[in-house]
Amino acid sequence: MPVRILVVDDHPIVRHGLRTLLGGRPEWEIVDEAEDGIEAVEKADRLKPDVVVLDVSMPRMDGLEACRRIRKSVPKSEVLIVTQHDSPQMMREALGAGARGYIVKSDAARDLLAALEAVSQHRPFIAQNRGQVNDSE
Amino acid sequence: MKLRILIADDHEVVRRGLCTLLQTHEGWEVCGEAKDGREAVEKAKLVRPDVVILDVGMPNLNGLAATRQLIQQNPQQKVIVLTITDSDQVIREALDAGARGFVLKSDAARDLISAVEALQQNRMFFTPRVNDMVLAGFLDKGHNGSNGDSNSPTLTPREREVIQLLAEGKSSKEVACLLNLSTKTAETHRSNIMRKLDIHSIRDLVVYAVKNDIIQVQVSSPATQSTPGSAA
Repeated sequence: MPVRILVVDDHPIVRHGLRTLLGGRPEWEIVDEAEDGIEAVEKADRLKPDVVVLDVSMPRMDGLEACRRIRKSVPKSEVLIVTQHDSPQMMREALGAGARGYIVKSDAARDLLAALEAVSQHRPFIAQNRGQVNDSE
Repeated sequence: MKLRILIADDHEVVRRGLCTLLQTHEGWEVCGEAKDGREAVEKAKLVRPDVVILDVGMPNLNGLAATRQLIQQNPQQKVIVLTITDSDQVIREALDAGARGFVLKSDAARDLISAVEALQQNRMFFTPRVNDMVLAGFLDKGHNGSNGDSNSPTLTPREREVIQLLAEGKSSKEVACLLNLSTKTAETHRSNIMRKLDIHSIRDLVVYAVKNDIIQVQVSSPATQSTPGSAA
């Protein structure tokens, strides 16, 4: 059975890109897209995806808050943060909010598949050279 | 013959999105990709695209400076600038650099096809805000030729390149190497910039570069500010 993924980013062009990176692989199925945190929480509740690929900086509700809410309401859905913020502090915040993986947008093409694979199996994924995470969860 | 498009963005995920979007249009092909402005200028020389789509916020050479170089290299070059903000400063710079299209990244999926089509027909494409500004500038022309720029001293395109690299943390030696200059010339540019802008430290130079959209910084505000409202 394919891993069911909800893709969340406020820029449609990035959602297109994420779709393309995942495209043509039968093991991944994008079940829906959302363009802000509120929509993400609502769709995660309804669709119960295996993984939510979540941007951080979004209007209405940012990805960290959405992550907290999704982890609370649908604990089986793992969250993979895909952000432009290449900072250890943000990474810690994301993991603190319950994210299982954290990758940086500039490296998404390289890291996305490996990260999804790990996260969908409930294993943490932090991109290489992103600094060390001492307090994972 | 196909319309050949070169795209430049430092994020591969965005380039993938742009490719997917553009290649859905019959008769268009993405003939090259670049991950910063410098690479875009180099590739444009080689592949001679009909249209170049450039992100503004890219490392090494930002999209506005790259636009300037592309137009210098080929005055007929059609350039669309892709930006996260349509601030007055960015609009002014983009128009001044010679861009004929201006699309907000957030609207790219909706507007980019129309923008490329417009350029293909030798028209321009702007967001409504840019249109308003261009019109206002046109109506204002009688009063004041280069309105609103009083507090920004004129830097040469080369100085703008140098200021970006310095603000990104590169040394004069690295700047010299990247721009094929002697270290001494790079240092001269650096001191000219500081004199013109009346600034005395690299920190002030970085502040200037950020304020004037020469570099873009990632503000990690959601993380640092989210705690007060973070009740789940």
